[in-house]
Amino acid sequence: MSIPMVDFDRFLFAFTIGSHILLVSLSIGLAIMICAVEFLSARSKDKYYGALARRLVRPFVVSFGIGTASGIVMAVELVNLFPGFMTLVSKTGVISIFYVEIFAFFLETVFLVVYVYYGRFFHGRYTRWLLTLPIVIGTLLSAVLIVMVNAWMNTPNGFDISTYLATGAVTGVDPWAPFLTPSTGYEVFHVLATVPLTGIMMIGGFFAYRYHKSSHPDERTLFLKGLRITVALSLVLVVLSVLSGILQIENLYQYQPLKYAAMELNVNPGTNLPENLFGWLNGTTVVGAIQIPGLQGILSNHANVPGLSQYPSSDWPPLIIHDTFDTMVVLGVLLGLFLFGYAGLWVLKRRPFDRRFLAWGFVVFTVVTTLVMELGWMTDELGRQPWIVYNVMTVSQAASNNSDLFYPGLVIIAAYIFLVPFTFWFMARVFRSKAIEVDLAGPSEGTDVNY
Amino acid sequence: MSTINWLFEINFAVFSIFLALFLTELMGGVLLLLAYDRAKPKVLPYIVPIWEVTGTFAAFWVVTSDFAYPNMLIPVASLFGGLIVVFLILIVARNASISFAELITKRGWVDERKLYQAYGLATLLIGVVVLVALSAIVSGAGVDLSNLSFSLGGWIGNAGSALYVLGAVVIAVGLAPVFYAFEPLRRLTLPVTAVGVLIEAGALYLYASSFLSASFLIPAVLTLLPALLFQSPRTAPIVSHKLVFAVVAVAIIFSLSYLVYPTAFNGGITVDSVTTSGPMVGAFYILSIAGAVFIGLLMALYLTAVQRSMRTPASPSPSPAPAAPTSPNP
Repeated sequence: MSIPMVDFDRFLFAFTIGSHILLVSLSIGLAIMICAVEFLSARSKDKYYGALARRLVRPFVVSFGIGTASGIVMAVELVNLFPGFMTLVSKTGVISIFYVEIFAFFLETVFLVVYVYYGRFFHGRYTRWLLTLPIVIGTLLSAVLIVMVNAWMNTPNGFDISTYLATGAVTGVDPWAPFLTPSTGYEVFHVLATVPLTGIMMIGGFFAYRYHKSSHPDERTLFLKGLRITVALSLVLVVLSVLSGILQIENLYQYQPLKYAAMELNVNPGTNLPENLFGWLNGTTVVGAIQIPGLQGILSNHANVPGLSQYPSSDWPPLIIHDTFDTMVVLGVLLGLFLFGYAGLWVLKRRPFDRRFLAWGFVVFTVVTTLVMELGWMTDELGRQPWIVYNVMTVSQAASNNSDLFYPGLVIIAAYIFLVPFTFWFMARVFRSKAIEVDLAGPSEGTDVNY
Repeated sequence: MSTINWLFEINFAVFSIFLALFLTELMGGVLLLLAYDRAKPKVLPYIVPIWEVTGTFAAFWVVTSDFAYPNMLIPVASLFGGLIVVFLILIVARNASISFAELITKRGWVDERKLYQAYGLATLLIGVVVLVALSAIVSGAGVDLSNLSFSLGGWIGNAGSALYVLGAVVIAVGLAPVFYAFEPLRRLTLPVTAVGVLIEAGALYLYASSFLSASFLIPAVLTLLPALLFQSPRTAPIVSHKLVFAVVAVAIIFSLSYLVYPTAFNGGITVDSVTTSGPMVGAFYILSIAGAVFIGLLMALYLTAVQRSMRTPASPSPSPAPAAPTSPNP
């Protein structure tokens, strides 16, 4: 049995980006955490925050290094695997987004280098914190700009689409229009909430675990302080995730109606439809679903929402996105309940941090959050299939179909399978590579880097 | 009267900066492979902060290329698809090895030294891959433009190819002691660099005699100049200054642009015919100018930080602050 190259290209890129976003989420989470603890350290002069910043920087350097490599892999893979897509991108204003992305990347890189390797030469309580701010802005801006590209793929604009479909010629180009498509604001809002949430939860899960594992009083204090920050940030972000998610739904049925219909498993269009939780389509009937009457109507503001029957079945995306979407929502709700329960116990001074089962719960929900993010991404991407640019270009039209890439592609997959877990393990190790007394004592003469 | 193709010039300028930074890394990587203990104090303080910036410039060049040459993306993906994937694997290996080397504490079978040397090896191999692609773009060796295919056998079969890579490596070896102010090899720098330039000239001649025009004199002289100035104790510190050397390296690479403009692949493709057009040209200029100012400011900050590190003592340990209450819970 031979695999069509287009499917291999699709899988290779999906695998690469699926791995990449794990690293990126943690990088963003680390950048935000470092900025937060540097601020708290400057404000309170609490040595534990200083030590926490010094410890967080080490894994951040690793995640940045591997994340950069992974980012380059993706940028070049796009050209290599989907040259048709990148040709269209490069002839329209979408390439302008990639161009600006590079400047955000520079902002992050240069300030990271200055903060990590030369930060000790900048005196002043708030100076080090100020050096971390552009790192956060750079990382978030990178994420925002990439999401802008994704938004354009979902709701393309900035060129004469009908002429392109008729002749293949790219005309009527507006180089700036792709910065703001009908779905850009909604997607950006959602990603700005969910991706940092994933990264912060990863750190929180690690802190919760280490807090219970450690017997050293100073180390326990350090992890406790870190854990409180992660819980507070996660709470805010989970609320923003829900809000932005609801807004996304509204945008979907307006601008990506087929994706919406598949996500909701709506056979026919209508108003005040029930919410189908799970289930599948048997012919033209939904079976096995838990139906919640009226919920879809409430979430869609009682609008007339689309159904699959309005479109030829050959255009339908894989209906598995209904399951990925529902699983994402159910797990997301559980995550929210967990975080609010945890925070509630904290407010009521019921010592949630000391409860072992809640610590393990935090670890479990770290995995859940990561899963929720990946499922959300899968829903978005699979929901656009067979299109790479919605209603403009299919994945098959965009792919290179270059069979020379098969074996090197397998090597890339193998490299990621080894590299990503190893990177996470290594980051956990370097976080605690120095004794707590050393980190609490303040910056040493050199940096923590071997050179 | 021919006009300047600013799209090409800007893209090639970004490429020159990337390649110059990469070559300084490559030279350091070679020294780490050959004489780790002696090279480490000179090489690592430079490489460790800069490798992240080099990677960023690599991404910058990729994006400006996508922007400037949209019609070349499908041909490039077909021609160099395999080579590009090898490049990607090596980039991952380079970044992973140096990231881990910076922070590893274990002194077992994988230690800091092995990881830094793995970085050196990965960087060297990336250099070879880049040189193979560049020489193919310059000469068209191994390239079949009508079928959009690249044959490594065909590339090797061209007498100039091996010389091209060899000449570049010899030049890098010759200039490495200059850049890293590596005194023990001072006397070797000029003859080795000169031999490298001669080999490179031979390679270009074998590719096409027209490549060895008067234009070649500029990069040749600029390449020999640092090696020459390194011989005198008075001028050696100037030419070994990292910024001065980097600027010269950028100038050398930029002066080689005549090899790929107005035609690349040894006359196979006219560059002006594949650059972007219409409203995207204006967008490219606006973003390039804004980006150049922005990156210039960031680089100024970076250089300020480096200068500050040379004359400022590191921040003293903060006075032991009163420990916050250590109760595990509020």
